[in-house]
Formats: sequence, C-alpha cells, structure tokens
Amino acid sequence: MTVEISIRDVSMEFPSPDGVKHVLDSISYDVTEGHFVSIVGPSGVGKTTLLRLLTGLTQPTSGEIQVRGQRISGAPKGLAVVLQDYTRSLMPWLTVEKNISLPLRNQKLSKVEMRERISAALLEVGLEGTERIYPWQLSGGMQQRVSIARALAVRPSILVMDEPFASVDAQTRFDLEDLVLKVRNDFGITTLMVTHDIDEAVYLSDEIVVLHGKPAKVRDVVRVEIPFPRTQMQTRNDPVFADLRTHVYAMVRGLE
Amino acid sequence: MNFSKRLLVILIGAWLPIALISAWWVSSADSENPYFPPLSIIWDRFIELWVSDQFMINVVPSLRNLAVGFGLACFIGIIGGSLLGGSKSLGRYFEPFIDFQRSIPAVATVPIFIVIFGLDAEMRIAAITFAASMPILIATIQGVRATDTTVIETATVFRLSRSQILWRVRLPAAMPLIFSGLQVGLQIAFVVTIASEYLGAGFGIGAFTLIAADSFLILDAWTGVILMGLLGYAINIIFDVVERFSLRWYIGQKKLA
Repeated sequence: MTVEISIRDVSMEFPSPDGVKHVLDSISYDVTEGHFVSIVGPSGVGKTTLLRLLTGLTQPTSGEIQVRGQRISGAPKGLAVVLQDYTRSLMPWLTVEKNISLPLRNQKLSKVEMRERISAALLEVGLEGTERIYPWQLSGGMQQRVSIARALAVRPSILVMDEPFASVDAQTRFDLEDLVLKVRNDFGITTLMVTHDIDEAVYLSDEIVVLHGKPAKVRDVVRVEIPFPRTQMQTRNDPVFADLRTHVYAMVRGLE
Repeated sequence: MNFSKRLLVILIGAWLPIALISAWWVSSADSENPYFPPLSIIWDRFIELWVSDQFMINVVPSLRNLAVGFGLACFIGIIGGSLLGGSKSLGRYFEPFIDFQRSIPAVATVPIFIVIFGLDAEMRIAAITFAASMPILIATIQGVRATDTTVIETATVFRLSRSQILWRVRLPAAMPLIFSGLQVGLQIAFVVTIASEYLGAGFGIGAFTLIAADSFLILDAWTGVILMGLLGYAINIIFDVVERFSLRWYIGQKKLA
C-alpha cells in the first residue's frame, strides 16, 4: 500500500486580536493511495484549515505535507477540489462545458480529447446533454454534480471535498453520496472529505480521522471495515455501521 | 413577455415624450419669436439638412471620433484596470494619480489637449479617450478587486496561473461592474465629443450647431440640438443591447435568485 499524502507534524497558527490563535497542533497522518478518508470533528475545530493546507492554499506554521514524497508549496499536481458552495465555486459566466474545460487549459489537449473528457465526465455524474447550459440554470444537486464532473475531468489522483453535500436537501444528499461511491468504484481516486455528517463519513469512508481539542489534535483514526459495495438501505442497517457512528459521534462530542 | 405586452410597455414609457413634443408643436405653431420658431418649421429644416450629404460632412466625423475615442478608452480602461486591480503594488503606484485626475471635470482637459495635439481630430479623440477611460478604469479596478475569493481559490487549486486567473476569472467576474463604468464612460465620451468641437472645429455636429447659433441661423442650431439628442438616445439603446447580450449570464442568474 503506497502512501499518497503524508501529513507530517503539521501545526498551524493564525495571528488574532488576542495574540496567536493555535488551530492545529502537530497533526500527523498518512493517506493510503486509493483510500477514501473523511475528516470529522466539532465545528470550528480546524477541518477546513487542514484542507486548505492540503490544497496548498496556505502553508503550515511548522511541519510539512508531502504528496508522493514531494513536499508541497502550492497547489499539488493532479489534485482536484469540490467545495460546499457550488454557486461560488462554479463560474456563472461559463456554460457547464466551459466550466469543466477551464482547468484543462494547461493540459494541452486536442479539441477532440477535450470534448471526450467533458462528455465522459458529464456521463459519469449523470448530466449528459447539459454542455451548453449555464450551471445556475440547474438545481443545486445538479450544480454540485457539475463540480464533481469538473474535478473528474482533470483525471486527478487526489480529490479533496469540503463539505460537498452540506448545501443540498437530504434526498439529493443520498444521491450524491451514492454518486461518490460510484466514482470511487470506477476510478479509485484518493479522496479526502471534510464533513459534519458522521453518518455520511461512515457510509463513504475507508478511514475516518477525528480531530478534537483546541488546538486540534488527531483524537483517533477509525477504520471502517464495511465491505463495498455499500448501499443506503443495507449499509446503514449494518450493526458495524451503528457501532462506528456511535463511537465517532462520542469522540466528536468529547464524550469518549 | 409577449408582443402586445411589450408594445404596451413601450407606449406607457412614450407618453411623456409624446406629450411634450405635442405641447411644443402646438404652442410654437404661431410663434413669431425668431429664437423659438415653430417646431413644424424646425422639423422641415431638420429633414432638409440631415437627410442629405450634411450627414456625411458633419455627423459621420463626430461619430467616428466618438467610436475611436470610446473604443480606445474601453481598451485602456479594461486592460489597465485589470492590471492595476490584479496587482496591489502596481495599484499603489498609480492610484493616487487616478484619484486626483478623476476629480477634474472631463471637459476642462480639452484645452490641454489642444496645446498638445493642435486642433485636429487627434486632439478630440485623445480628449475623449482620456476622459472616458477614467470611469472604466476605476470600475474595472474595483470589479477585479471584488472578485469572490472562493472562485479565485478554486482556480488556484486547479493550477491556473496568476495571469489566467486575472483574465479568465477575475475579469469576467467583474463584467457587471465594468459595464456600469462603461455606461458612465460612454456618456462622458459623448459630451466631450460635442464639447471638443466647440473649439476650433470646422465641421462635426457640435461645431455645426455652435457656428449656426453664432451666425443667427437659429433654425439650423435647433436642428443640431435635436440631432444630438436623437444620437445620444440611439447610442444608449445600442449600449443597452450590447450590455444585455454580454451580461446575459448575470441577468439570467439574478432572475432566478
């Protein structure tokens, strides 16, 4: 099992009105290639800060993050993101097709290859035929599917998702979770997801990283030993599922 | 909107102009005052003058100056504004100057351009460009600066370069604000087009009107004023069409929200 991402002794401090705010305290964790990892923890614990470090948008105060053995200093190659707020993350002036092709500009693809990438990505998320319309003409769930298609079209080795399903209704949420499972099954992309939803974390993940404390430390790493394929009806009724969610919930709440 | 509804909206908007023109027409019908000739006579003279080669001689040069001057202003304003908005350090070097210069009334700079360029068309174009580029420049700087950080960060993570982010993300995101700058710039450009012809021009719609008035050709001067009004109105309509087409994504998005 190869390590794809290595978080090594990462600490993060921010300047604040009352001195320094210490957010992350020597976080260390290795992400195995092809694994789906969720990061959970109480609100404001620093989950999103950790994701910003992983995407290279900010640099840690100390420690380092390596992708395939290379220390990252900016956005790593082969990394794609899906953010919670799709209305602000997709470009409203571009059609669905142009939104997906924007990150492909630097990949030197021919017109035909570009077109194939776009239609393959849209097919994967179930949005074939929407190339020429604007994202805002679609429902929220469909817009988030466009975000996922945009991420898949770059053929990433790492997918980072920041509360990707927090802005859609419950029914759509289940659909999108199953879409993510399908993507996982089809491509095996190493995925890191921040979520507030513990059930979702258990349902989707190979491993769950629980952050807790101020500053945040890794409280525990929970392996989810539920076989794939998982389904909403069966997996959520699995006794292992119930045990794990109770365990993770207790840790997030600081009860354990 | 269906056709009859649209027609109704146009008619509702047209009542005041129609009423004013009718009032003018009726009240001036028996006028003997040489400064306020009957509108019917002005109108006859208008057709006689402007549906003729006078249009080519006096209107086309003005419109050409306006088009070239405003076109250059768009280019300078949008390109310069993007660069200044996209780079904080560049902004620091130029913004005090821009802030100073924006407070000078546009028309007041015309004499300076006469000193530099003489009385040719280049002077008029330079004055139009200079005056009209300021609101465009300022709107572009503000628009580019105001781009939502989420969209910039998304583009950064997808490894778009800084210049790609500027031209492909921040500039298009700023277009709604830039268009309000363009609208102000166009109005200023029109004013400077006319005003620049008040000094030392032999032809052009502004020059024609001024010379007519100075020569007591009151009727001709009236037709010039009416023509300027109609041209200004037509230019605004064209601008609206271009804006609505360019910002259809923005308008459509607003409608749904």
